[in-house]
Amino acid sequence: MTRLLRSAWALLSSRVTSPAVLGIFLLVYIVIAFGTDETLITLMAVTSASTALLMLLALLPLSSAARCYRETARYLARRRVLRGEPTQVPEGLFEETVRLPAGGSLDEVKGRLEAEGYTTSLAGESLGAWRGASGSWSRIVFLAGTFCLFAGILISLSTRTSHRQSVLEGEPMPTAAGGGGVVEKISLVPGTGRILSRDLTLQVARSEAGDPAKTCGLYPPALYRGNFVYPRYLGIAPQLKFSAPDFAAGKEAYYVLNIYPAGKDDKVEFAGSPYRLDVGMAEPGDGSDPFVSGKITLLFKLVKGKDLVLNGSVPLGGTFERDGYRLSFPSYRRHVITDFVQDYGVLFIWTSMALFAAAFLIWLPVRLCFPRGELAIVRDGDGMRAYARAEGGRTRHNGVFHEMLDLLESRAHDRSQGGAGQSEMAGN
Amino acid sequence: MASATIETTGLTRSYGDICALKPIDLQVPEGEWLSVMGHSGSGKSTLMNLVGGLDRPSGGTLKVGGEDLLALSEDGLARFRREYVGIIFQQHHLVPYLSAVENVMMAQYFHSVPDEAEAKLALERVGLGHRLKNRPGELSGGEQQRVCIARAIINSPKLLLGDEPTGNLDHKSTLMVMDLLKELRAEERFTVVLVTHNEEVASWGDRTIYLDDGVLVRDERLGD
Amino acid sequence: MPTLKLIPHLLSYAGIVLVLLRAFAGRRLLVAVASLIGFVAGIAAAVLLFRFCPGEPGFGLVRDVVGGGFLLFWGVAVTAVYRSTGHDLPMTWWDDLLARPAAGAAAALAASLVAGAVCACRLSSGDSLITYLLLILAAALLVLGAHALERQLPAAFAVAPAGLMAVVVALLVFSSASIIRLDLFSPLTMKVMKFAHDFVHQFFESMLIPDHLFIRTNLWGYIGLLFGKEIGFWGALVILLVPVFLVLLSINFEPLPQVAHIRQGAQRRRLLAEAIGSRRRRLVIPGLSLVILAAAVYRSLYPSVEYWDPKPVAVTATPAGEIFIPKKGEIDLEDGKLHKYLYKAGGKEARFFIVMTPAGKLSVDLDACAICKPDGYGQAEGTVICYYCKTLIPMETVGKPGGCNPVPVPFTVRNDGVHLDAMTIINTWGSTVQATARVKEAGK
Repeated sequence: MTRLLRSAWALLSSRVTSPAVLGIFLLVYIVIAFGTDETLITLMAVTSASTALLMLLALLPLSSAARCYRETARYLARRRVLRGEPTQVPEGLFEETVRLPAGGSLDEVKGRLEAEGYTTSLAGESLGAWRGASGSWSRIVFLAGTFCLFAGILISLSTRTSHRQSVLEGEPMPTAAGGGGVVEKISLVPGTGRILSRDLTLQVARSEAGDPAKTCGLYPPALYRGNFVYPRYLGIAPQLKFSAPDFAAGKEAYYVLNIYPAGKDDKVEFAGSPYRLDVGMAEPGDGSDPFVSGKITLLFKLVKGKDLVLNGSVPLGGTFERDGYRLSFPSYRRHVITDFVQDYGVLFIWTSMALFAAAFLIWLPVRLCFPRGELAIVRDGDGMRAYARAEGGRTRHNGVFHEMLDLLESRAHDRSQGGAGQSEMAGN
Repeated sequence: MASATIETTGLTRSYGDICALKPIDLQVPEGEWLSVMGHSGSGKSTLMNLVGGLDRPSGGTLKVGGEDLLALSEDGLARFRREYVGIIFQQHHLVPYLSAVENVMMAQYFHSVPDEAEAKLALERVGLGHRLKNRPGELSGGEQQRVCIARAIINSPKLLLGDEPTGNLDHKSTLMVMDLLKELRAEERFTVVLVTHNEEVASWGDRTIYLDDGVLVRDERLGD
Repeated sequence: MPTLKLIPHLLSYAGIVLVLLRAFAGRRLLVAVASLIGFVAGIAAAVLLFRFCPGEPGFGLVRDVVGGGFLLFWGVAVTAVYRSTGHDLPMTWWDDLLARPAAGAAAALAASLVAGAVCACRLSSGDSLITYLLLILAAALLVLGAHALERQLPAAFAVAPAGLMAVVVALLVFSSASIIRLDLFSPLTMKVMKFAHDFVHQFFESMLIPDHLFIRTNLWGYIGLLFGKEIGFWGALVILLVPVFLVLLSINFEPLPQVAHIRQGAQRRRLLAEAIGSRRRRLVIPGLSLVILAAAVYRSLYPSVEYWDPKPVAVTATPAGEIFIPKKGEIDLEDGKLHKYLYKAGGKEARFFIVMTPAGKLSVDLDACAICKPDGYGQAEGTVICYYCKTLIPMETVGKPGGCNPVPVPFTVRNDGVHLDAMTIINTWGSTVQATARVKEAGK
């Protein structure tokens, strides 16, 4: 069991695991690409439907977490060594490990290192020295970011649900259980930032079920009953009153028309009559956005069977009458085709973006201006062990390290020569 | 007797009607220092060029280091010169815009690959370790000739040819160069064929042959 | 003449045989015989394939085999560069396999089989038995010629296993690029474009980022660069050429022999020089593969095919908003050719075409797809080609949505002709086409 756990740990904490898993997914992608043009969508669908692939994908965040833990443990272990705390120095903790004969004063080495700009810590039988700032923090943050990214992708693929609904002013928010708050107003205003040209808000009243009043914006999307509210397309639902000489009963209703932006047309079939109304939105002459301004003029064609009966334009709020035909649009409601998305993976992915940005912002100045170099010399039985590691400025740091080693070796040599001379003199 | 480095039988060289070298039979054992003497136009340089693979004989046989030079193609002769022969000329023929070490590295380049560390060592051996970066124009005649010697021996040749190597040098430089050649020969054990008209220079060798109008007229061993 | 159009394929085959003979120089006769047998078997296999799976499935299978070979080459290239950087892989079984006498024959058989199949795809069902026999005779002569030529090449000119794979795959890709239905580069371009397109859309959807409706136009313009054909072209070029560069790197990174034990400098240098020279000579074949692949890309971008692209005919709608196009008349809709139409109304316009598919059904589609700029489609050799991304859409799939297929439009066929809804055409064009349509009133 211990062996199994050890092997599992070795696999998870290995640097090869993530590239290998990504390589497998790339191969799967390529195989799918031979059979369909919708490769990415198919890969996502296949992965969400396959337990084996999901388990394989799960290796990615697990590996990131394992590596994050390992990096933290190694950072703390190195800190202990540098501060002279008694601790085991596992293999590979430092880049270079050199065994030296005993001899040489650590005080002298301490002084030399401080002259080279190192901060030192002499504690009994060991000397630690370092300069610069550790890049371990940026690495830990980066690994945390990769954990969040892959965890987010895994959660998203396996649990995301999305329902496309029509959100209409004056109607309750469409929810699975029903009873959502009434959408009081949908407004679109020109955007003020550099990214969004327009800002959409959905004002939702407090519901009888206890949902609080909410204003749902574009980004970041709001949460309503655990679902992200993701507006997709805009539309108009004008109130339409129609009557014709041979259709005196007429028709009056709100019709959701997919006619925004201007240039799109939609149809309204009047059930129980041979009439059909083709409606479009006129392009405003002043270049304004009709959804924003509310000044909407509708272009229409009334068709009876295959014959065109009437065509013309009428502003919203207006009426068109001719030859016994009456068409009026007294009012309208705005409507938004919205996706209600339940996906907690998104939160992880957003977090990962922030962590990656933070890792980069930490790493860059540290690497450029304060590259880390670490040295430790520890007395070990009848000899000494020297350790060194550098994250940047390697040549200079290794030069200092080798200089200190030369110093210690020469002191050890002098000591042994002096000792031999003394014993000779004693003999004489 | 040691195997012969150079073996010729009836070796001749003619340039049209002019016979520069009449049939010569010669055997030079491995490791011998042969001096070739004769007046100007006697055929000494012709003999050296044939033995070094720089020219093709008109007749006879010529084997150097076991290779039948007549049977070699142009590429084969080029390979033979690269691998087997080192040549020192009277005129040096150093590249004037390259430093001493670069001149030696050129010889390495044409042989295989340049190796600066090895070139430096070779120049140190000939006593020019302090003049590595100097161009030929900045060196004395003797120093230039020593660069030529380093260049000639860098590829460990089996046969070192010298065509009046001390012709342009003063007496002191001549002695220095000859001393160096003797020392290197003792270390490297190559065969030396030195063409000279100077008796004193010739006396440094183990054996001297005399050519007169392309004919081998005398063959003397040192001590004879 | 059928023989002229076979020249690129025969040249590719000759190159494959030549390189195989050099790579397996100890088994020349076996390799030569296996090459010829493989070629003939490839032709026979292709003939049978098209008998049982005519049209796109047959071409698709041959193209997939060439594509599979290219994928295998990617694996070989990555392995080669990994090994050459000093990492150990348990590959002794592979080295032993390559050393076996049958390895050369097997490689020759496989490569020639594919080359023969590709060659056979160039011939049409109307070509006589004489043509096939002449093709086989030409192949035999080429094998003899390659055998003679290979002996003239300097012995020092060696081929590394990865280099062999590089040039064989490059020649097969070049050969298939000469047939538009077997071309790999255009579909690869389209796949890369589609990937970029899908990735951006999926990223936006997954991250719940607002759609382009809400994003500033200039910013969306930058995002739109990711949807351009340049992304597809350069991405496909990278995918095509990187494995060859990996092979070149693997040869370049090969460690030089250990010479520290040799005391004589000249000997050390000579060994190193020989190793460096051998390494350089082994770079020639992969270097040549780059040139061949570049030629394949050129063939793919500029195929020697005339496209049928008629000038769009203007149509109008009835007052009820119906467009009617008669089956027969000035234009015969059932002649198997593409027929283009242009509908304009109220400042808006849409282009669409009607074509009879091999299944005998009419299909009405927009002269644009959901991914590319609406440069329109042409018709050639049983396919329809998107002018923007140069993707070939087999006639069998016209009418089905997805990928770079032209967007199908609902229509009804009655005895007299095709009936379409004008508003649907305009709306579909407006919502599907990404960029402003460039009016193309001139045909090619």
